Amino acid sequence: MKMRILLPLAGAALLAVTGCRTSMNTIENAQKEGQRQMISDSRVITDSSLARKVSFVGLNQSMTPGGLLKVQLELLNNKRSLQSFSYRFEWFDASGMLINNVASPTVSDQIEGGESKFISAVAPNPACKDFRVKFIEN
Amino acid sequence: MKKTLLWSCLAAALPFVAGGCATKAHYIQTGGRESVVSVNSINIQDYIQAADKMTGELLASGALDKVSNPPAVLAISRIVNNTGAQIDTDLLTKKIRVALLNSGKAMTTTTMGLGGTAEDPMAKGLQQEAEFKADQKTTRTPDFTLSGKIIQTIARSGSTSQSTYSFQLSLTDPKTGLAVWEGEKEITKQGEKASVGF
Repeated sequence: MKMRILLPLAGAALLAVTGCRTSMNTIENAQKEGQRQMISDSRVITDSSLARKVSFVGLNQSMTPGGLLKVQLELLNNKRSLQSFSYRFEWFDASGMLINNVASPTVSDQIEGGESKFISAVAPNPACKDFRVKFIEN
Repeated sequence: MKKTLLWSCLAAALPFVAGGCATKAHYIQTGGRESVVSVNSINIQDYIQAADKMTGELLASGALDKVSNPPAVLAISRIVNNTGAQIDTDLLTKKIRVALLNSGKAMTTTTMGLGGTAEDPMAKGLQQEAEFKADQKTTRTPDFTLSGKIIQTIARSGSTSQSTYSFQLSLTDPKTGLAVWEGEKEITKQGEKASVGF
């Protein structure tokens, strides 16, 4: 008797929960005019849970008119639910020395289910030649 | 009687136990993930984020490179506070100034300020003395002025309170009076109102 009541309730609850998860559809021009200058990357994954949910698609870079390195990273949410994470850019000069950037924040961000998202940053000065991006799950 | 005494002793000891278990004061990374997030006030991590984003956009725009005698000279104009709290706008502008100086793209004048008030009155006095002795003006007219506004927008729905802080900046060419760059960063915070209290 109890199972007759509980089972449909559990089913309804499950439907309600899965129904609340929405993921993103996208559409874009297939023949791109712009060409991204993709660069090879080196990844260190210590949080496989975050890596499964939000994966790195690729890195591209360019130079601003003023000679500053600009970096863009594409992320993909492999899940159907919203994911929250924090990230931080670090910059290095030609000698590999970390450049102390007074305004180098840890940025909290979110990515919708199924969304492909770009995050970018501009180097603080022309001496920056390399960079690193750190990610952590919120 | 014994039970009453026992319960009284336990009740008296409870605050000491709770106090001993409380989190001790400790250092955290400024603007890091452990930072307190307040819905009704701007936190330090908000200033850092806003300054970083807008500095990056300003540098990427190349507006500061379009001067005849680089690096550009910048003067800080009025930054209006339209939030519900008393804030020091230097928490935003200083970070931008330091970042711009470190980039080599701009330097900020400290002897020229809004209403004629110099940020560094001693430097201004020494500069005027040097100009008097040399009988020529050595003060470099700023290439740009930086002005802006910080606005707070509040929204409530039931027990949920939401504040959006809009950091708006404009870089103006004083020769033409035109804004050569404008940037905006919005930071939205949401939280539940406490069931007891304000």
